[in-house]
Amino acid sequence: MFVVLRDLLRYNGEFLAGILLTGIVVVMALLSFFSPYPPMDQFVAPMDVPPSAAHWFGTTSRGQDLFWLLTYSIRNTLAFGLLVAILSRILSLSIGLLAGYRGGWVDRVLMSINDTFIVIPLFPILVLFYFVMRDNMSWVMLAVLTASLGWSYDARLIRSVALSLRHREFTQTAVFSGMRTHEILSKEHLPFVLPIVFSTSLNNMNWSIGLEVTLAVLGFTDINRPSVGGMIYWANQHSAVVAGIWWWIAFPVGLVVMLFIGLYLLAVSMNEYIDPRSRLERGGGRKE
Amino acid sequence: MIGALLELDRVSMTYTRGGLLSRTRVEAVIDVSFRLEAAKPEIFSIIGESGSGKSTLARIVLALQAPTQGAVRFKGKDLAQMRGDVERHAFMAAVQPVFQNPFEVFNPLKRLDRYLYATCKRFAGAQGETAVQAAADTALRQVGLSLAEVRGRYPHELSGGQLQRVAIARALASGPSLLIADEPVSMVDASLRASIVNLFRKLRDELGLSIVYITHDLATAYSISDRIIIMQKGRVVESGAARTVLANPQHPYSKTLKDAVLEPLAPGARPLFAR
Amino acid sequence: MSAAMQNFAARPEAAEGPVVAVRDLRAWYRLRLFGVDREVKAVDGITFEVRRDEIYGLAGESSSGKSTLVKTIAGAIKPPLEIVDGEIKFSFMPGTKGLSRAPPEIAARVRWRHLSYVMQGSMSVLNPVRRVGASFVDFAARHMGLDKAGFEAAVIAHLARVNLPGSVLMAYPHELSGGMRQRVAIALATICRPDFVIADEPTTALDVVVQKDVLGMFRSIQREMGSSVLFVTHDMGVHAHLTDRLGIMYAGRLVEEARTPDLFARPRHPYTRHLIHSLPSIGDDKPRIGLEGSPPSLASPPSGCRFHPRCAFAAERCRVEVPPMESVGPDHRVACFEKDRVEVTP
Repeated sequence: MFVVLRDLLRYNGEFLAGILLTGIVVVMALLSFFSPYPPMDQFVAPMDVPPSAAHWFGTTSRGQDLFWLLTYSIRNTLAFGLLVAILSRILSLSIGLLAGYRGGWVDRVLMSINDTFIVIPLFPILVLFYFVMRDNMSWVMLAVLTASLGWSYDARLIRSVALSLRHREFTQTAVFSGMRTHEILSKEHLPFVLPIVFSTSLNNMNWSIGLEVTLAVLGFTDINRPSVGGMIYWANQHSAVVAGIWWWIAFPVGLVVMLFIGLYLLAVSMNEYIDPRSRLERGGGRKE
Repeated sequence: MIGALLELDRVSMTYTRGGLLSRTRVEAVIDVSFRLEAAKPEIFSIIGESGSGKSTLARIVLALQAPTQGAVRFKGKDLAQMRGDVERHAFMAAVQPVFQNPFEVFNPLKRLDRYLYATCKRFAGAQGETAVQAAADTALRQVGLSLAEVRGRYPHELSGGQLQRVAIARALASGPSLLIADEPVSMVDASLRASIVNLFRKLRDELGLSIVYITHDLATAYSISDRIIIMQKGRVVESGAARTVLANPQHPYSKTLKDAVLEPLAPGARPLFAR
Repeated sequence: MSAAMQNFAARPEAAEGPVVAVRDLRAWYRLRLFGVDREVKAVDGITFEVRRDEIYGLAGESSSGKSTLVKTIAGAIKPPLEIVDGEIKFSFMPGTKGLSRAPPEIAARVRWRHLSYVMQGSMSVLNPVRRVGASFVDFAARHMGLDKAGFEAAVIAHLARVNLPGSVLMAYPHELSGGMRQRVAIALATICRPDFVIADEPTTALDVVVQKDVLGMFRSIQREMGSSVLFVTHDMGVHAHLTDRLGIMYAGRLVEEARTPDLFARPRHPYTRHLIHSLPSIGDDKPRIGLEGSPPSLASPPSGCRFHPRCAFAAERCRVEVPPMESVGPDHRVACFEKDRVEVTP
C-alpha cells in the first residue's frame, strides 16, 4: 500500500496535485481545533476588515474572523461529505454484491428498488424534507438522507462486477470449501470491487458536498452551524458583493473549488491506477 | 443390489431460453441413467464434445442444478429431498468438484491455504489452528505437495499443474467419497498432465475414492477409466468397460469420435494430412 | 489486366530461399512499473526459418514463449513487449527488421497480402456486428484490385475451397458454428494467396471431430496455394499429422527442430522425448510418467540449459553453459549437451 502511494506520487502528476489540493483543505479543517474564536460567536472582531496581517482572510459584517470561521466551515463540510460517502458505500456495496451474487429474484427485486432510486429527483425531495423537518433537520439527518438517495448508481456498477465474479470458478471453489454467502461476499468478492469503491467514493463526496453547499446557499439547511454554503448564505444576506466585501464570498468559494478539484484529480488518478492499460502506458514499456 | 454410491435414474434436463415470444427449448440431458457402486471405487468417465450435456450432468450431480426429470440419488438419498444448510453441507463434504481451469479455481487476490483451511474447518471438523494445518498438510501430501510449499502462496506463484494439485487436495480435505472432475487436465500442460492423471488412479486405489471424470479426451479416458459413457447431444450413445468400448466402439458416433483422435504416429505410419 | 491483378495472380517465384528467416531473435517484456524494473525474456535467442511451401510447426507449453514469438513475427508488438535484438527477414519485404519496425506504409501493404494470420478465437478477426462478407471486403478487397462483382466471385470460389457456401457472406459471425467460423477465418487468411500464414492454435477451441475436418482443409488449401505456414499448437497429436517440420520451444528458447516424422521417431532432446512419450494413446496400456517440477518462470529462468532442473540427463555442464543448437542430421538440430546419451537410452 505504501509502495503504491509512493509510486503514485512519483509518477502521477494528477495524483500529486490532488493530494496537495485536498491536503491543504484538510489542514485548513484541522486548524479549526486551534481557533481562538468559538465558531458561532459574532462581533468578536472588527467588522468588514479586508485581508490583512491581523485577519488573513479579512472579517465579515457580523464581526467574525473569516479565516477561523472558514476552518470550522470546511471541517463540517468535509465531515458531511465523508459521512455521506461512507453510508452510501455501505448501501451500494451490500446491495450491489448481494444482487450480483444471488441473481434470480433477489437481483430483480433489489435492482428494481435501485432503479427507482436512480430516477427519483433528489433535490426537490431534500428541500421537501427541510420544510417538513425545519429545525429538527440536523446535519447528520441530512447526511443520512443524502446517502440513502446517493447509492444507486454505484450499486449498479458494483452489481455488474459481482455478476461476472459469480460465474468464475473460484466462487464455486469457495462454495465447496464451505464458505457462507456473507463470507464469499466480504472475503472473495469485496477485494475486486474495492478499487471501484475508492474512486467512486471520492466522486460521491464531491457530489454530496456540492449538494450540501447548494442547499446551504439557498438556506435549506441549519444556518446556525458553520458550513461553506452557510457562509455564502450569510454573505448574500448582508449583500457582501454589493458592499464590496468580496473576501466574504471569494475565500469560501475558492476553498470549496479547491476541494472539488482535489477530489476530482484523486478520483481520476485512482481510476488510472485501477486500469492497468493506462498505467502501463505511463509507467513502463516505452516504445522503440 | 444395494449400496449404490451414486445413482442417476432417467435424468433429463431441459432449459427454456428466450423471452415471452420466442421461447426455445434446449434439451441438454436426455434420459441418462447410471450407477456407481459404493463397494467398488472406480473412475467413471463421461465423454462428449461441447454441447453433449456432460457439463450439465456434472452440475446436476453436484446438486448445483435440479434435473427437470428423473432422480439423482447419492447413497440412496434423493438430492431433490435435500433441505437446509446442514444436509447440504453434509452432501458437499461427500461430493467435491475439481474444475477445469487451475488458474481460475482460486481467487487471484487471496492466499491458497485459505481454501484448504476453510474446507478442513467446515467439513472435516478440524478445530484449532494446529489441527486445521495438520489436516491441510495431510490433504496436500496425498497429492504430492506439502503445506510448507503452499502456505502463504498466491495462485500466480504456482504452475498450472501445482494449482490443479492444490485444487484436488482441497477437494480431498473434506474427506469425500466422490470427486466430480470436469475436464481437470485440459488446461494443464502436456508434460504435467500425466502426473495428474496418475494421481486420480492413485486416489482411487489408495483412498477408495470414486471419481467421475468428465472429458472430451479419449486418450486420457482410456488410460485411467474403468467404465465410460459416451454422450452425444444429451444422450448416452454407448457405455461399458473403458477398454472394450474405446478399443472397439460400436455406435457410429463413438467411431467418428475415435477416428478423430490425433495420436502421435507410430514409426513409418502415414500422417493424416501429409503434404 | 491491371498490375495489381497480375501481382495477385502470379506468385513471384524468383525469390528463392526461406519465406521467413528469424535470426537470434530476442523479444522481452520490459516493465518499468512505478520504478520497479521487471524483464520477462519470453523469446530469448531464437533462430529458425520457414521455407517455401511447408507447414512449420511450433510446439511448446504455456510460458514457453511461443505466443510471444508469434506476436513478434506477426508484428503485433505492443509495450511492454519489445524486440531487444535479432533479425526477422521476410522474402516479400526488404530489410531484416521485421514488420513491427518497418515503415507503416510498407507494413500496411504487406499485411494480409503477403502475411496473414488465423487465431484461436476467430471472433477476434470477424467483427461481431458486421456480416461475414464485410470482413472480406475490409481485409482483402484493397489487395486484390478487383471490381465488386469480380471480388465477390473470387470470394465465393475461395469459400468453396473450405467447403462453405457463398451464403455465409450474408451471415453474422454468431450465426455460424465454431467450426464454420474457423473455416471462415482460414478462408479470410488465405484469400489473397499470401506467401506466409501464421496460425496460432487455430483448432484448439474446436471439438475433435470438427478439428480433424478443419485440419484436413487447412492442408488442402495450403497445398493449393503453395503458401508457407507457421502452425502453433501445444497439441503434439496435431503436429504429428499436419506439420512438415517441427520446432520445440522450452522457456523462451528453441530446444529441438526436425522433420516431424524424424522428431517423433528419434527425439534427441530430453524434453521432446518426454513430450512424446507422455502422450496417452488408445490401446496402449503402458503407464505414462509425468515430468517432475514446473515450467520455469521467464522472469528468472534457470542458468545454463533451462531444462536442467527437470532433466534426468542433466550433467554439471548443463547447469552452467547454454547448449548451442547443433545439427545432428539432415534438417535436425538440437540444443543439448547430452544428446548422444539421450538417443541411446531406451
